Formats: sequence, structure tokens, C-alpha cells
Amino acid sequence: MATFEVSGLRQAYAGRTVLALDALTVEPGARLAVVGPNGAGKSTLLRLLAFLEPPTAGIIALNGVPVDGRAARRQARSLVTLVEQRPYLFRGTVERNVAYGLRVRGMPAEAVHHRVSEALERLRLQDLAGRNARSLSEGEIQRVAVARALALEPQALLLDEPVSGADRAAQHALLAALAEAQARRPLAIIFASHLLEDAYRWAEQLLALHQGVPSPVTPENLFRVDLPGTAPMQRVAVGPLTIEVVTDRRGPATLAIPPEEIVLSMESLHSSARNVLAGRIIRVAEHGAAIRVTLDAGVELVALITRKSFEEMGLAVGASAYASFKSVAVRVF
Amino acid sequence: MSGLEGEVLGIATLSLKVALTATIVACLLGIPLGFMLGLTRFAGRRALLVVLNTALAFPTVVIGLLIYLLLARRGPLGGLGLLFTWHAIVIAEVILAAPIAIALSAAAVQAVDPRVRRTALTLGAGSLRTAWTIAREARFALAAAVVVAFGRVLSEVGAALIVGGNVLHETRTLTTAITLATSQGNFTLAVALGLVLLGLALTVNVLIQLFQGRGDI
Repeated sequence: MATFEVSGLRQAYAGRTVLALDALTVEPGARLAVVGPNGAGKSTLLRLLAFLEPPTAGIIALNGVPVDGRAARRQARSLVTLVEQRPYLFRGTVERNVAYGLRVRGMPAEAVHHRVSEALERLRLQDLAGRNARSLSEGEIQRVAVARALALEPQALLLDEPVSGADRAAQHALLAALAEAQARRPLAIIFASHLLEDAYRWAEQLLALHQGVPSPVTPENLFRVDLPGTAPMQRVAVGPLTIEVVTDRRGPATLAIPPEEIVLSMESLHSSARNVLAGRIIRVAEHGAAIRVTLDAGVELVALITRKSFEEMGLAVGASAYASFKSVAVRVF
Repeated sequence: MSGLEGEVLGIATLSLKVALTATIVACLLGIPLGFMLGLTRFAGRRALLVVLNTALAFPTVVIGLLIYLLLARRGPLGGLGLLFTWHAIVIAEVILAAPIAIALSAAAVQAVDPRVRRTALTLGAGSLRTAWTIAREARFALAAAVVVAFGRVLSEVGAALIVGGNVLHETRTLTTAITLATSQGNFTLAVALGLVLLGLALTVNVLIQLFQGRGDI
């Protein structure tokens, strides 16, 4: 049975819809990354899945049971925990903070102590147990908040930008602790991030949001543009570049260039592709069997290519390359 | 101990008893109401805040007069026989201090970081536990509400005179005694009583400060 099953979910504030998600299923033990730029609706989705606020419309079922009403949400919150982007630690020591949820559940003091020590050790925080929570660094606060959530052994852990305030070592400890928690028991982890590298490295399932709705493509290569409306082929300004697209729309719109539709080459291609942009490779990241190459062509463009092509072409950071894509490959929404 | 010292001690003790009782009752009533006002949204909330803010500036003699009319022998609560007793002063001062406790505790919980509530809820706390957690985070501001309410009650004179009657050993508080001594030209006694009043206010505030400091981490 799925941990979360969402259908027809809508959230509006002051009449403005900020999230519209028709369907989402999260299985026990899943790793779902919710990606998208700021204001995409990621945090709203996490707050809804954490049952901290009721949706304007739609159903969220937890373990197959629709959660509706104040009492049901209260009940559901004992199984789902959210760690906010800037987590809040209560006044008092780190230990007291990690113990909070366990005490709320009426757990005996000895069991609380045991669970707290275990959670702190997993996040390599045992030395901070007696420290005043107000004296911690941003990265430490984030790890304490994750320890506080993991100590509760929830069925689902929701993390909003979990590695934003952490340095590399702290990030490693955090991700290792999450992996370890998942290895011990079925724990669904949903995390929101605007950094796609994190999402690709860690998630098995990806939900890309853009302006509150699932984006048909991953949120790379998304550009806000103003379409001149000279249909059907339009030349559109994207930053310093001009891109050709096929659409009969006019006015403000978002262009999406799917990374798998971009062909990289060392020389300018003479092909049917209407868009050929020169640039320099600035980032290279593994993405399963494929490689994600980020090209700075005046704006950043991400291309997804096979490892074999990557190796054969001898691409590397700093190298010059051309990105080519057909005007019909550019999606407009 | 001389007769005068004994008299001053008796007046100071009564003052403290009245002020503490009124502050405790006002805070027990006012802080939960302040929480409700600060944390929930309901129809008429803004109107209630206006009434409350007006009550903050209510003249003490008017409160004294209203309580007098209520408790007077022919008044609706005359049968209780409370007029010119220290209980009557407590009633008047609770009415004076409660709006302070309500308004300042509402402001205190409104000023608490909104993440406190969400964090408590997501960690499984129910409504009461969440409110308690918010109170813990706002405890300095809540203590300030108690201190201000206590200060208002301890320094109050108009209502205490009207409903207490300034009866020696019964309802004579430090402030009413100072009024009487001044009107009789006994300035030495008036100044001495004033110093005792200041000393009491200082002691209670220091105690509250110490209490706050202990739970700082």
C-alpha cells in the first residue's frame, strides 16, 4: 500500500492557486525529489503532505486512508514529519530538542534517552547533546532537526532543501544517516530542492514543479519569455540569445528545452536543427548511465548525453562545444 | 517593633497580598484568553482587540465606582457583603489587570516565530502541547505581561480607595495610606511608605528576573 496517494490536490491562498497536483503516489521506502525554482509550490506540497494545513481541494491518503478533518490530520502527523528549510530549534539543549517528539508521544524517560542518543550518533551529533540549541551553526541546526525527526521513526520524512545550509561533510553525514534510516525500515523520503544535482544524485523518483503545476520536463532549461506572436515560427529573446520556436502563442510564456533533445558537438552542425548555440562546458555530473553536461551559452543549458558519447567526444569542463536543438523540440507552456 | 513599624508592616503585607492575588487571578484568566486571541482567527476578533486596548487605558476610579455600585448594600451583589473588604479591592484590580494580561500575552504569542507552531505540530504535539511550547518560547514576553500587570495593581490607588474605604488593618494598602498621610501633612510617613512600595516592586521584579534567567537554556 502506498504511503501517500494524492489526487486532485489544489491549494490556494487568498484566491490564488499555488499548487495543482492531479496525482502523485509515493511508495514506502521511496526517495522522491520535488524540484523546481523558488515559488514553484515545493514547500506548499510538503506542508500539505505533512498535514500541517488542509488543502483547498483534493485528497491525500496516507497508507490508503484518506486524511480529512482536523482529528485525522492530527493522527496522521504522528506518522509523518517535516524538516523545514530553516528548521526551528526550541529553547534548551540539543538533547531536549531531539527528545521533544518522543516526550509528546508519552515515551518513558529511559526509552527517550536511548532513542535520542541513537539519533544523535547517527547524525554524528553526540558531542553536541548538551549544547544550547541557540549556539549552533546553520548546518548543525539542520542536522539536529533531521535527528529530531528521525528519532520519531516516522513512515515518511519530508525535507525542505535539506542540504542548503550544510557544508560538504555535514551533507555527507546527513545523506548517510537518511540512507541508513531507509536501510533499517521502510521510510519514504520526500525532499524539495532547487538544486538538480542533489535530486539526481539521491532520488529515485522526480517531481518537477513549475508555478504550482507539474512540469512536463525537468526544470532545467526553463526560460520565461515574451512571445512576439509572429506565428508559426517565432524568434524569441532568451537572455542574450535568440531561440527559434514553433508556437502560435503570444505574450508571456515559459520555454522548456528538454535536456535529452539537445545535441552536443565540437563543431557547429549543419543539420535540420534551427538552433545552434556556442558555449563552454561549466559542469559535468553523472546521471545514472547518462551524463548531464551544463553549457554556458550566454544562458545555462543542460544536455543529457550517454556516457559513451561523453567519453568518445572527450568533453570536459572548460571545453568549447555547440548545443543544437530543433525549434519543434522547444516546449511552450 | 514600634507601633508605627508594626502598622507599616501590616499595610505592606496587605498590599502585597492584594497585589499578588489580583495579579495571579488576572493572569490565570488573561493569559489563556490572550493565547486564544493571539493564535486563533474568529469573527469579531478585531473589535475585541479595540475593546481590550480601550480597557488598558480605563481610569481606575471609574472601575472603582462601577465595582462600588455593584457591591454596595443596595447593588446587585450587595448581599455578598464584600464592599470595604480586601476582596473588593482584589475584584477591582483583577478588572484593571486582566486586560493588560490579555493584550500583552496576545502580543507575545503573535510575536513568536510561526515555525514554532508548525514544528511542534509536525513533531506530533496536540493543540494544548503546542500552546505550551509557544508559551515556553515566549516566556520572556509573558513574564513581562505579568510584571506590568503586577505594577499596575501594586501602584493603583483610586479603585482601592473607593471600594476598600482605606480602613486600617482591613483595607489600607500602601498607596491609600500614602494618600491619607499626605492629606494629613505627615510627609515623613508618606515618604517612608513610598520607599516600602518601591522596595516591594523592586523585590518582585528581581525575583521574576531570576526566575527567567534560570530557565534560559
